Amino acid sequence: MRPADPHAMQPSKPGSTRTAPPQVPDDFWTRPRMLTYLLFDATGIVYLLVGLVVLRVAWALTSAESWNALMSEFASPGYLVFHAIALVSALFVGVRFFRLFPKAQPARIGPAKPPPRPILHALLYVAWIGITLVLLAILGGVWP
Amino acid sequence: MKTLLLRMEPIVWLLFGAGIMVGTLLLPGYLLTVTLAGPLGLLPDGALAYDRVYGIASNPIGRLVLLALVALPLWKGAHHTRALAVDLLGHGADAPVGSLLYAIAAVGSVLGILAVLAL
Repeated sequence: MRPADPHAMQPSKPGSTRTAPPQVPDDFWTRPRMLTYLLFDATGIVYLLVGLVVLRVAWALTSAESWNALMSEFASPGYLVFHAIALVSALFVGVRFFRLFPKAQPARIGPAKPPPRPILHALLYVAWIGITLVLLAILGGVWP
Repeated sequence: MKTLLLRMEPIVWLLFGAGIMVGTLLLPGYLLTVTLAGPLGLLPDGALAYDRVYGIASNPIGRLVLLALVALPLWKGAHHTRALAVDLLGHGADAPVGSLLYAIAAVGSVLGILAVLAL
């Protein structure tokens, strides 16, 4: 079977219809909802950098010397500020995404219905807080 | 290149979705301890000592969590940064920026797999 052409549904030429690609309005910075949306996208830059730094953490675990050197680097003002920004970004993403997630669920998945939106929203927070507390206990030296 | 990006969409969206969900669930606990409280001296002595952290990270669950903390934020970050680039720079930037960002995420993920296997 021939694979579907991803451009099969593309209009022959773009026009000012709903099939045209979305455009950022010139005055987007005056629109609070657009700003919040762009800020949500901008957390991607922070997440990308966090992923690369955690990659350094993973490789630093190959020897005690490299681990101790990295922990000393993490105490520098630059890293502390970056990681504080990363924490704020993660909280912003969590609050916004967990609010949107229940609304984005299908009415049914086969025979199963998702739980009511407020319950789903609450369950996400329970998981978030629970996982955070477990990580705080383990990495904070409290447990086991 | 644009066609390749379109064909990759299902995989990218899967990893992006996992990144935004799992990455966000894991990041506050990691950031609060390893990168903020530890360096500021707010944790008990020895909490982030090499032997202890190595023991946590090198067991099977620890390796999975560490790999999730490396790879999933990379994919969430790549996809959202691509969307930001399209919004601010226009669709002309999509193919080169998207390709570069997904390449960084893919290489970073492979290096993450190698790192956790080396523990």
